[in-house]
Amino acid sequence: MKRMLLFMSMVAVLGVAGCASTSGDSMHKAAAAATAAEAYQQLLAEARAARKKAASVDGEWRDIGKILKKAEAAASKGDYAKATKLAEYAKFQGEMGYKQAISQRGVGNPDYLN
Amino acid sequence: MKKQLVAVLAISLLATGSAFANKKATDTTPEEDLKVYRDYFMKKFPGVPLNEFQNGVYAIDKVSRDSWEAIEEFPPYEPMIEEGEEMWNKPFANGKTYSSCFPDGPAQRKNYPRWDAKRKMVVTLPMMVNECREKNGEKPLKWAKGPITRILSYMAYESRGQKTHVVIPKGDADALAAYNDGKSFYFARRGQLNFSCASCHVESAGQHIRTDILSPALGQTTGWPVYRSKWGELGTLHRRFKGCNKQVRAKPFKPQHRQYRNLEYFLTHMSNGIEYNGPSARK
Repeated sequence: MKRMLLFMSMVAVLGVAGCASTSGDSMHKAAAAATAAEAYQQLLAEARAARKKAASVDGEWRDIGKILKKAEAAASKGDYAKATKLAEYAKFQGEMGYKQAISQRGVGNPDYLN
Repeated sequence: MKKQLVAVLAISLLATGSAFANKKATDTTPEEDLKVYRDYFMKKFPGVPLNEFQNGVYAIDKVSRDSWEAIEEFPPYEPMIEEGEEMWNKPFANGKTYSSCFPDGPAQRKNYPRWDAKRKMVVTLPMMVNECREKNGEKPLKWAKGPITRILSYMAYESRGQKTHVVIPKGDADALAAYNDGKSFYFARRGQLNFSCASCHVESAGQHIRTDILSPALGQTTGWPVYRSKWGELGTLHRRFKGCNKQVRAKPFKPQHRQYRNLEYFLTHMSNGIEYNGPSARK
């Protein structure tokens, strides 16, 4: 009887532990997905702001809009890894477009003309 | 590929400050610029007479010229000149015609682009055409292609032989600012490829880009509207500006945007003394 009880207890403990483990994985995954989505949204906002800043000095690059659309499409499918990468790239383009336009503001004849 | 492009861009952006130094646009006057540009191209393409630059790449490359001359025997733009003439003569709904806005007749190329001191802006011939239409109760035409290129073709054809004569009025700081703005646009690197207009059409003019030869900036404004084989139709100068900006992966502006009007002002001034010869055909 004691052996039987011990066996049943072990099965129960293992079972509970198993349930707890399964539930923990999903929660972990859900939390990770939420974090990835939040990170993407943050980056997307930054990329949009960088685009706007570049446009404010007439320095926007040609493809930034397309890249952002691709990022949004990837995010809508839940592919946050791809969406984040694209948003990062768009942000980079916005920042570089701004820097480029500022560095070129007011330039005139290049030295090779003389 | 993207990473390579980014690397190239980052390197070239860093190099921009040193290896490719520029003066400020305000450092030189329009008169000084005219001399500098002319001397540069005359030295780069010795033996090419000034007026020949109106023919773009066909002034500097014999093989391209031979095929272009064959095209010009039966110009693809010829029917469009006739359509433009019909437009010119056809009365608007109010009974008036384009000549109500252009009393001197259709040969107007020599008058545009010009600085409008009252409006404090550069005005172009396509703008004047559309303003004429609106003044007479008609809808404006689209800027880049289609019917506007017909009326402009006729006006350009009637203007053939007129000399480019863009004036930057002395003592008008706003006009000079617009000219300098156009100059800056021309020499500023832009887009993901970090090229300026001048990278191709001044610094590298005459060199190959794939199978094409880059045309010199001098004379680039005389032959518009242009029938480009690539387009399979006529297009306006600002359509070409848009295309160039896209090619260097910069977001283009809309035709007749202030940036493009100022650019036209600067670029046309560069060709002062060269005859108008539009419409023309290009590859």
